[in-house]
Amino acid sequence: MNDAGNPSTAFDTAAAKAELSAFIAALGPRTAAVAPTPLPELGEDIRDVAADGALIERFTAAAAAAGMAVHRATPASCAEVLGRIVQQLPARHVFLTAQADTALTPALAEALGDTLRRLGVRLNSTPDDETLFTVDAAITGVAAAVAETGTLVCVSAPDSARGASLIPPVHVAVVAAGQLVADLCDLRTLWRTGADLPANVNLISGPSKTADIEGVLVTGMHGPGQVHVILLDG
Amino acid sequence: MSRSREFAARVRRALADERVTAAMRGTTWRKVTARAESLGALRDPERLRDLAAQIKQHTLERLPEYLTQFARQVQQAGGHVHPARDAAAARRLVCDLARQYGLKLAVKVKSMTTEEIGLNAALEAAGVEVFETDLGEFIIQLDHDRPSHIVSPIIHKDRRQVAAAMARELGCAYTEDPIALTRIARAYLRDVFRRCDLGISGTNFAVAETGTLCICTNEGNGRMSTTRPRVHVAIVGIEKIIPRLADLPVFLKLLSRSSTGQPLGSYTTLITGPKRPADRDGPQHLHVILLDNGRADILAGPFAEVLRCVRCGACLNACPVYRRIGGHAYDSVYPGPIGSLLTPLLDAAGDHYDLPFASSLCGACQTACPVRIDLPGLLLRMRAALHGGQPWSKRAAIRLWQWAMGSAATYQLGQRAMRAFLADDGAGWTTRGAGPLSRWLEARDLQRPPARSFRQIWEEYLSRE
Amino acid sequence: MDVALFVTCLTDTFFPRVGEAVVRVLRHFGCRVHFPPAQTCCGQPAYNGGFHTEAAKLARRMIKVFEPFDAVVSPSASCATMIRQHYPTLLENDPDWRERAARLAARTHEFTTFLADRCQVDLAAHLRFAEPVTFHYPCHARETYGVERLQGWLTGSAGVDLRVPEHPDCCCGFGGVFAVDYPEISAAMLDDKLRLLAATGARLVVCNEGGCTLNIAGGARRRGLPLRCRHLAECLAESLGLMEPQP
Repeated sequence: MNDAGNPSTAFDTAAAKAELSAFIAALGPRTAAVAPTPLPELGEDIRDVAADGALIERFTAAAAAAGMAVHRATPASCAEVLGRIVQQLPARHVFLTAQADTALTPALAEALGDTLRRLGVRLNSTPDDETLFTVDAAITGVAAAVAETGTLVCVSAPDSARGASLIPPVHVAVVAAGQLVADLCDLRTLWRTGADLPANVNLISGPSKTADIEGVLVTGMHGPGQVHVILLDG
Repeated sequence: MSRSREFAARVRRALADERVTAAMRGTTWRKVTARAESLGALRDPERLRDLAAQIKQHTLERLPEYLTQFARQVQQAGGHVHPARDAAAARRLVCDLARQYGLKLAVKVKSMTTEEIGLNAALEAAGVEVFETDLGEFIIQLDHDRPSHIVSPIIHKDRRQVAAAMARELGCAYTEDPIALTRIARAYLRDVFRRCDLGISGTNFAVAETGTLCICTNEGNGRMSTTRPRVHVAIVGIEKIIPRLADLPVFLKLLSRSSTGQPLGSYTTLITGPKRPADRDGPQHLHVILLDNGRADILAGPFAEVLRCVRCGACLNACPVYRRIGGHAYDSVYPGPIGSLLTPLLDAAGDHYDLPFASSLCGACQTACPVRIDLPGLLLRMRAALHGGQPWSKRAAIRLWQWAMGSAATYQLGQRAMRAFLADDGAGWTTRGAGPLSRWLEARDLQRPPARSFRQIWEEYLSRE
Repeated sequence: MDVALFVTCLTDTFFPRVGEAVVRVLRHFGCRVHFPPAQTCCGQPAYNGGFHTEAAKLARRMIKVFEPFDAVVSPSASCATMIRQHYPTLLENDPDWRERAARLAARTHEFTTFLADRCQVDLAAHLRFAEPVTFHYPCHARETYGVERLQGWLTGSAGVDLRVPEHPDCCCGFGGVFAVDYPEISAAMLDDKLRLLAATGARLVVCNEGGCTLNIAGGARRRGLPLRCRHLAECLAESLGLMEPQP
């Protein structure tokens, strides 16, 4: 990686390693714990939503309670549903691109794009600053969604820019019902090992909001002020 | 350390400010109710609290092992880890990194740890422009003020004060409408986000198993600040470590519910290393600074339990003392019940004697704490530790008390003396007196002891009936 | 059942009627009540002030006074907790007293829970209130009974007009020496408490803690609020016809 301002000093020198080790070693217990506390086994006792529960209903209710708009659709009706959302916003300029391992397959992305173009919406598929800071809305897929809390799981990937679900004022997420997991404790199952974890995972549970000024709730502080979820079933 | 006139003055100022008092009362009570309702919606919140407490306690007992694992994982993911023994070392590290990378414009996520080490001033002195991005902290920065709550920094400000600060510092049109003010701040900071090159954050949790930082915000500034700039520096207190990724849901289920009553904040961001080569955006470099700054000493002592704290602010919202005196009275980065312990512990040389004593030990904090820190028990222990700073008059009074309570005879002598000493206003109450009695009488009358004590009633007839 | 009464210095001095009510009610439900006259103070003020050596001395004295008895009952949850929870902690490093403290701790009880749990008394069934009633939940009862339980004893009584205050478990600001060490903060907390109680419209406040009663009743009088505090023991004794109601 060669970028301007890259320091010539190497950070992970032997001396640095030794300093870190010494720092950590000095934190060792000065007296042994009388009765050491074991690390608890986490089983089903932390689960709030059963895996075989009515996940679609639960997700819809939780997401709505969190301030997101949930629209039910089928793969066939998805484009029409999206078209209605876009017209109501109204959005004239939209970011849209297919994403691997999401419900936003190349075929679906093409169908959505066709519908939007027919409505006179300008489309852009490059997630650069020029695009993300000017579009009215961004349409993305998700890696998963959590029914318990109405949460969208968006991860960084070569075809998934972090900024897409963050910078534009409206975020539209396409979620397949099969992508729903029941509970936050199911998140661990999304990555087999730590090495599978992407550099960035975002659990999105509502629009950007703040109540710092006199406790008055305002949406759209730094992230999108509106989040729409198109939930595909069938 | 001993009692402080400055503390008394700050308390008096706070109690006299009716506007702030009303705001604090309304907000904290709302959060107490919201917390109770939100936790009540969980299947077994008490079990979750037990687990959270156990996980944190276990981790603190094996901290070197987990820190070693965490550091290794961060490095494997392409990040760098630096130790910082104290605030000065941490500030130096950040400034050095800014210099080495040629960084000029920093954006900060809300982080009590960065306030604790006084980072902003050091960066500005080193030629780096620094912007707070949490709306409340941004307004604090504009108004040259200090936060008064660890989750709601401007709980003490009203819209008029916010409007004045923003009009004055940003040159925008004056408006008191919170929505309009928010839009102005958003537009202003968006411009900063477009140009920034350094992002500074703390972390809510640091997962040892995977080297992952977990940052929770509602505004999205946590995401912007760790995505837009090419360098991300995270200041991580050594106590933020949790062992496994699977432990996160235990804390996530408790954190926002305890803090604001939401099931989960809008953004929970898991950061594992800098951007991968094929990622479209994200920081190119990640530097994690592990901060000691007194935590190692706390860990080795009888107050280690305070290091379980997840900075949810629930104890502040529950505390009847904090509700009335507000955050500024504590004169510390950490106010409220947890602050009453952390402040004298992290700043042993400072003048913080009053903090553990300015409490009725009502235990509302312990009831609220998601990681079951025995705050009243620790406050009692701290009082014993500060024994040396007690005024001689107090020590004399306790010795006198002890002598009087040493036998039934001296005890009854004391009762008779009190009955004689307490003036009667004619209706069986005392309304005038000196010394400690006068302090009691500032706010309330004192009923006089009845002519016969229980002991006397027992002797006279009750024992024989 | 044989029971030793630990009346507490506050109750002995300021609220002898509460002590009398406790005795009469315990006897009514079949207990034989003893009163060890050597008792004085459990040491809570010293302990809370950080004077642990002095508190430990008083603790040893009290253990000697009460250890001959199989059951010790107190009208004050905070004093009972002092013995049950803090005596073992205070004396944990004293090999001669550690066991004795633990034994006394296991045998010491707060009055209302002793009646309900050990004597199997249905408190709600016996309580009668002749006027609207509200209550203050004393913070230091948190190791003994919760606010729901206190409310339950009151709600369940026949014909009661119970006015539940907002935030019934909010601290009244007494806190022992806290009230004289930090009088302005204490006064502010007392203000909040009195406002919540007065808002219920009830004049009778069930208050099971002597310190809280001194604080709340004293504050009400100063502000001209028509609030009277009564211990549940007094309410029970009056309801059972064991004592005349006091105006």
